[in-house]
Amino acid sequence: MRELEYFRPATLEEATALLHRYGSRARVLAGGTDLLVGLRDGTISCACVVDVKAIPEMRQLSFRPASGLFIGGAVTVNRLIRDPEVGRHYPVLVQAGRSLANALVRNRATVVGNLCNASPAADMAPALLVLGASLRVADNGGTRTVPLAGFFTGPKKHVLRPEELVVGVEVPPVEGRAVYLKKARIKGFDLAQVGVAGLFSPATGLRLGLGAVAPTPVLVSVPGIAGREQLGAEDVQAAVLEKVFSSIDPISDQRASREYRLAMVEYLVKRVLAHLGEAGEHAQAD
Amino acid sequence: MRRQIRLKVNGEDVSVSVDTHKTLLWLLREELHLKGTKEGCGRGECGACTVILNGEPVNSCLVLAVEADGAEVRTIEGEARDGRLSDLQEAFIRHNALQCGFCTPGMIMSARALLERNPHPTDEEIREAIEGNLCRCTGYLPVLQAIREVAARGARS
Repeated sequence: MRELEYFRPATLEEATALLHRYGSRARVLAGGTDLLVGLRDGTISCACVVDVKAIPEMRQLSFRPASGLFIGGAVTVNRLIRDPEVGRHYPVLVQAGRSLANALVRNRATVVGNLCNASPAADMAPALLVLGASLRVADNGGTRTVPLAGFFTGPKKHVLRPEELVVGVEVPPVEGRAVYLKKARIKGFDLAQVGVAGLFSPATGLRLGLGAVAPTPVLVSVPGIAGREQLGAEDVQAAVLEKVFSSIDPISDQRASREYRLAMVEYLVKRVLAHLGEAGEHAQAD
Repeated sequence: MRRQIRLKVNGEDVSVSVDTHKTLLWLLREELHLKGTKEGCGRGECGACTVILNGEPVNSCLVLAVEADGAEVRTIEGEARDGRLSDLQEAFIRHNALQCGFCTPGMIMSARALLERNPHPTDEEIREAIEGNLCRCTGYLPVLQAIREVAARGARS
């Protein structure tokens, strides 16, 4: 890392003014668990970092029954998964967050940072996709809302301009059971070889979110399933898998071969459907 | 470029000028000469650099020194008091929870932070707390035993 300017704005306005001024020469610093690694190995270079952890809106984590959950851009994964309201209303986010790296990383890594790093394997993406999350995005002109479903454009790529800042994630109130299952190489912490999130309610139908099996996290919607009992039906499972396989395109890399990923997708999707088909308000991940 | 920062390290006030691109790990080892905290990977994957920052255990290799302005940092050097080893240090020795000792400062900081936050952790919670601290020597079981024992007796507050 060479000469680096460091800013610590106290307000959203100061932060967006800095990003407007520096554009692609600036990087947002929240948890730093991806940024510092990239700066150190040279895959990221920038003239300045804008530390957003002092901005009140970015630190907000709140739930309202009418509007759902707001996860500010500086909220760490551990803070998310330890929050009682999150555990009560969005246990799938606890499952996803718990699987992310390890406890030390989770004390710094942020939910928004995981999304903005935009790894195809991002652990928070599949669950937030099935929950229908959106991003509240600010620049020095104002704010806009970006549905997560359109956010990712390629490995480590997303739709935002360099001067835009993600203020937080908006997760609507949700009904139904949801679960996130992750296949990794080892029992300890690791990146996902395959990650599958699922949500089912009679109102929304079935939604699946898949990570590490395409250039971006993928959302697959399967409407028209009337009840959770149908999730166990062979013809329904076959139709779901056909739609999933036509939506993904896994590669072979250091963590798994394409063939292994395809096999694990089938295995995990079936397990997710089994979880979602059970009675009871919330699914437990195994 | 350099910035003047003020922080508390193991209870003592420190005022130091540091380059903005340097990490908290570098500050502790090279500027403050607190060599107990180790660099294992420099990427947040091994936990050898674990310190307690504002009450939370973190990889100090992933924190810029300037981010610690105004913060409270505790390192392994803060464990022993008045020349006496802490309960965790003594338990680690008694249970053979260290061999080469390289992961040990980080392990103890993770354990200390856990017991302050959760004085009666389950086995699962202890494992989760040290999940980010890799050890090549002990196979982890003696480490779990040491932490379990200190928790059972009631950790030093």
